[in-house]
Amino acid sequence: MVKTKFMKFLCAFEQIRTDLGAESSRSIHYDFGVRVMTSRARAAIFAPIGDEGRAARVENRLAEAIRSGVLAHGERLPSEPELAQMLGVATVTAREALVALRAKGLVVTTRGRGGGSFVRAPESGDLVEDRLASMSRVELRDRATVYLVVLTGCAEIAAERTDPDEVEDLRDLLIPLNVSDVARWRSADSELYLSVAALTQSARMTREVVRQEADFGALLRIPLNEPGFREATATRHQELVEALAAGDAVRARESVREHVAHSLERLAEIHEAVRR
Amino acid sequence: MTKTMTPIDCVAQVEQHFVPIVTELERVRDEVAALFEAGPVTTASLRERLEPGSLEFLRNPNLIGGGFVVAPGVLSDRRLYLVWWQGEERDFLGEADAPGTGEAIDYTRQPWYRSPERTGELTLVGPYVDFVCTDEYVMTTTMPVYAGGRMVGVAGADTLVETLETMLLPGLREAGATLVNGHGKAIVSADPQLATGAPLTTARDMIPCRGLPLSVALG
Repeated sequence: MVKTKFMKFLCAFEQIRTDLGAESSRSIHYDFGVRVMTSRARAAIFAPIGDEGRAARVENRLAEAIRSGVLAHGERLPSEPELAQMLGVATVTAREALVALRAKGLVVTTRGRGGGSFVRAPESGDLVEDRLASMSRVELRDRATVYLVVLTGCAEIAAERTDPDEVEDLRDLLIPLNVSDVARWRSADSELYLSVAALTQSARMTREVVRQEADFGALLRIPLNEPGFREATATRHQELVEALAAGDAVRARESVREHVAHSLERLAEIHEAVRR
Repeated sequence: MTKTMTPIDCVAQVEQHFVPIVTELERVRDEVAALFEAGPVTTASLRERLEPGSLEFLRNPNLIGGGFVVAPGVLSDRRLYLVWWQGEERDFLGEADAPGTGEAIDYTRQPWYRSPERTGELTLVGPYVDFVCTDEYVMTTTMPVYAGGRMVGVAGADTLVETLETMLLPGLREAGATLVNGHGKAIVSADPQLATGAPLTTARDMIPCRGLPLSVALG
């Protein structure tokens, strides 16, 4: 157990080391992000690399690890000197990153004996799981049914009304599998289904989906913290976009149906675990 | 209306709505460029600079919203920001959160942002359902703004498709014509079977609107 935890830290920090050492490879990993934010990415590339930039990178990496759940709520982070040594940065740089994480509420520091810096998971996730825990199985199925009917209907109509160039925009929402930032997966998943709703050309339908996404979509996206689930999700996203590109209403509908069914299957297991 | 509207009159009516929008976007562009040339810009300084002029322009009831949307990272205190006023009360938007995740929506993927970014030119997007700002079926006019050799954002304004229908349908009916966008899709048509957003299926004579990716199709 102790070993596993240590390995997890090593993995998270190894990635930071890689990032700090090999800037060019990072742009490949984040090809998608670079493409949509060209001017910002360029500014970042040509900015002087000092310890200041390093602190931001350490901060971003740790924040991502915390948001994605790699570093779990309540875990103790290494001390500043240990952290600095592991990452190959100055102690003051590690400190600066921790200060920023504290300001974001992702790390809590306590003083005195037994004190130190601890991971604090972002609250929105807690709230979503609390909501799930407060739901009965009946309510879960009830909400899932409404979500399913609305979203499959959107996919069907969107397939009939979509242009090739609009499908190109959807392709940009597909996330490469090597991205492990769960928050990014969740927002991209939500945005994809919202975009499909918008392609129905109906503002009322889109507003309904906005409501559904806020209400039930957040629950359906809980399992996206599992790599296997992300892989299956990516496949269905791809299928959906291809079906829309082909104007195939039946296939578009089926792909959303499978997505909701599979998500619900996994969510029912999580629900069982939190209710027990 | 004493005389019967012709397709040419319809074109004039369309221009009467959109040309002042383009003029306004040019004004916003110059204001924003001047602000960025003068030094670091914050959410507050940008809003302060734009608010009086934009609200004055938005007194036009035929617009549902407008303002300026920043390129990521150009402001010193916020990555994404929409200095945008919309709705009947002209509410200030600031940022748009994705439903469910509560994360700020990365609007840089939206066609109204990407298209002017790519082409460097005035863009007219729509008709489309905008779920970032208005949650309505709109046409969005945007123009890229540059300062210090980079794009700092886009100036824009939204028009409800319903507004265009109210404004233009009586004339288009008389002229037996259809207003189409740059992709050949109907926006408002004399033909009740031709839905907004549907492509024109038959080739027709088109009269282009001046400086805009819009045309009036005959017959």
